[in-house]
Amino acid sequence: MAPAKVPPGHFPILYFAAAASFTGKSTEHLAAPLPLGRLFATLDEKYPGIRQKVLDSCAVTVNLAYVDMEGEEAADQKLVIQEGDEVAIIPPVSSG
Amino acid sequence: MAAVSVIELLRQQISTCEAQLASLRQQLAEAEHLHRQQQQGLQLKRMEEQTRHNTASTSLVHDMSYGIHDDFRSEIFAALSHPEEENVPPRRWPLENSEYKRYGRQLIMPEIGLQGQLRLKQASVLIVGVGGLGCPAAAYLVGAGVGTVGLIDGDVVEESNLHRQILHSTARVGMTKVDSAIVALSSLNPNVNLVAHPARLTPESSLSIMQDYDLVLDCTDNPASRYLISDTCVLLGKPLVSASALRTEGQLMVLNNPPLPPGGANGGPCYRCIFPKPPAFETVVSCGEGGILGPVVGTMGVLQALETIKVLSRGVKGLAANGTTSPEPPTLTMFSAYGSPMFRTIRLRGRRQTCASCGAKATVTPEALKSGSLDYALFCGSVAPVDALTANERISVDNYAKIRTEANPFTGSQPSNDSHILIDVREGVQFDLCSLEGSVNIPFSEISRTPLKPMREDVAGNHDATPEEGWVAALRSHPEKPIFVICRLGNDSQLTVKKMKALGLDNGGKRWIGDIKGGLRAWRENVDQDFPDY
Repeated sequence: MAPAKVPPGHFPILYFAAAASFTGKSTEHLAAPLPLGRLFATLDEKYPGIRQKVLDSCAVTVNLAYVDMEGEEAADQKLVIQEGDEVAIIPPVSSG
Repeated sequence: MAAVSVIELLRQQISTCEAQLASLRQQLAEAEHLHRQQQQGLQLKRMEEQTRHNTASTSLVHDMSYGIHDDFRSEIFAALSHPEEENVPPRRWPLENSEYKRYGRQLIMPEIGLQGQLRLKQASVLIVGVGGLGCPAAAYLVGAGVGTVGLIDGDVVEESNLHRQILHSTARVGMTKVDSAIVALSSLNPNVNLVAHPARLTPESSLSIMQDYDLVLDCTDNPASRYLISDTCVLLGKPLVSASALRTEGQLMVLNNPPLPPGGANGGPCYRCIFPKPPAFETVVSCGEGGILGPVVGTMGVLQALETIKVLSRGVKGLAANGTTSPEPPTLTMFSAYGSPMFRTIRLRGRRQTCASCGAKATVTPEALKSGSLDYALFCGSVAPVDALTANERISVDNYAKIRTEANPFTGSQPSNDSHILIDVREGVQFDLCSLEGSVNIPFSEISRTPLKPMREDVAGNHDATPEEGWVAALRSHPEKPIFVICRLGNDSQLTVKKMKALGLDNGGKRWIGDIKGGLRAWRENVDQDFPDY
């Protein structure tokens, strides 16, 4: 899914379900380092409207671990996405 | 031509009705049969004769019903013919001989063993939703010998369900999903107690229905149900095995495990802990709208059965009572059928301190749930049809059909010379299935991605917006032609009209832009019956 090589100074981001539909892609590379608290704003600049329509309800993971975007976990607020970290945007899928 | 298609249609309808009738007769025969057995349990010999006589004279009874009856009958006979003996010697083996045989392949595995099988037999699980997830989950749980399996669903079987909902059949189209599943499951394993709840789960009914079960499987298809089921599981202290699927992707979580009371910090997280905010309702896509591949949703349902067997065979009651942490930390398993890797396992956190459902200051209470003050539909946004436009921005399919035929009898052959522009905003794959002559395809996903203001180049200098702008420029180049927008059901078309106007494509009101009410469904119903219904 992710392109083979991550260019220096970037991190791969994976989009699932509604996030993939909105961005029209399943993965891309963004510039690192990026504070976690800036992630949604960065994406909303790139894809206007995505924050309110998709991101606000999404789970976010960094290197396959769930991170808190509600601002409750102090450690997550200080987290900075580093070069090569794998970030995933996971919207709730409700159908079945 | 028309007469031929009518004849064909009638033939199809007759064969469908005949199949339904045969299936109903089969159900009736089974129900009557069971009823008789219960009523006349003590008059064994006479009943046996009567049964033989009945089945011999009822030629329409399906073969499968013999299997169910024979098994049920022999069990009842066995139970009734040794009423005194049962009290005297204790059973020699903990399981019936037939159970050793039936479950032998899993019994010899250390993960299950005799203890695990007994736990499965004593357990009761509720499957909410008997569709693409619920069917395979139910099949494996009933096959594995879970003692009691409850099934809740308010829908009936439709033809478009059959490619993935493996318990249902062509003959049972029109039957309730719960009844159809029970026909299939009771022939798979007659030893399981199947409980039918042929209705939708509601906030008023969820506590009373779910309290009788040890574990719940969320196999539903909408956000409101997912929050309702999770909240109820937390209140009742039941572990929840939740899965979902859409298109080529699926998600799986074991929630509220261990199922400690709200505020119990060592309890497993609930659905609200993982997804505190529901998705924006306009982004929620159903399998009917977005599509679903059978094996994708099947995989997720099978994994639900697997996780359920793991939790039950380990002993769910012990977990709740002694408050130990689950042997496995909570995870979210993501399945992407076309991805590499296909599976990703995400480590989840424990309970969210501030969770409205399982946190220390939970606001979701049994009283709030029962009184209906928790409005799940409202919480998850409106699911009502879009009503975004005024009457003079809309046209009925009948009037649009007149415009097509009266304005230009050759409409469609040369759309560029046409009096108007017809935009079909369904996704490309659907447009390729069938479309109106002369219509131009601009997928709604592309339209909704198009920014209202010209996009700046991003840091890396990418021109991501260039292709999206293409369709806007193309429409601008014909500023005088009215634009008609059509989609599958008439929702996306309205949102497109709003967006086109916001982009200024109506030249300040000089150009008419509107949607065709009810979309291609209405077109099929009122204008062209041959237009495919997919």
